[in-house]
Amino acid sequence: MTKRERDLHVTVRSDPKLLASVRSLVRSWVESWDVGDKTTDRVVLAIDEACTNAIRHAYEGRRDGSVELSLHAGPEYLEFQVSDTGVPCPPECTTRRPLQPAADDDLKPGGLGIQLIHEVFDEVDFCPGESGGNCVTMKLMRSK
Amino acid sequence: MGLTIDTEHSPEGPLIKVSGEVDLYSSPELRKVILKTIPGAKGDLVVDLSGVTYIDSSGVATLVEGLRSARENGSGFVLVKPSPAVMQVLELARLDSVFEVR
Repeated sequence: MTKRERDLHVTVRSDPKLLASVRSLVRSWVESWDVGDKTTDRVVLAIDEACTNAIRHAYEGRRDGSVELSLHAGPEYLEFQVSDTGVPCPPECTTRRPLQPAADDDLKPGGLGIQLIHEVFDEVDFCPGESGGNCVTMKLMRSK
Repeated sequence: MGLTIDTEHSPEGPLIKVSGEVDLYSSPELRKVILKTIPGAKGDLVVDLSGVTYIDSSGVATLVEGLRSARENGSGFVLVKPSPAVMQVLELARLDSVFEVR
């Protein structure tokens, strides 16, 4: 997504309190594209997860970082990009682990966010950050 | 929207009623309440999620941590009336069969 292609671009300070506002914005934009309630909920969740990862991991909980969120409706896909200039995520971050029904003794409460992103979107690409940091582009096919 | 958490103690055990949105901002509070309520709890810890309008992986992680803590305490950990928002995320994360749900 080039700068000119962006429908919406928001810079969000890395404060968890702002996640609710980000969700509202994403929800109202996605709703305008009629993908259905269930898909809308899933997309809102996944973008929340991407922003949460930036706040929690890239900026290590600091509240003075910037998270960039871009939204674009292309002919085939709804595209989302979340990027930051924080600590780059190690390679394991980007690998998709198939989610299996968790066995009772296998509960690991961590790393779920990225897996949910993979579950929700049709394409997930980790774009190189322009000035270090992390960048993820997520695409949802408009018609299924 | 925010998050409201009410705790009641009954002879059957503690009941934590959660309403609103559970995310990175609000889940630490829920975590604190759950982990504070479990030690010494007699009977199952019941978490009423009927009023939860949104939950993300930080919220789910909090529930998982609560489940493990309850087990260590020898108590049950029951999710009661999870809202559609909760069930959708638990199903997406393949954790729906891990919790006892009533």
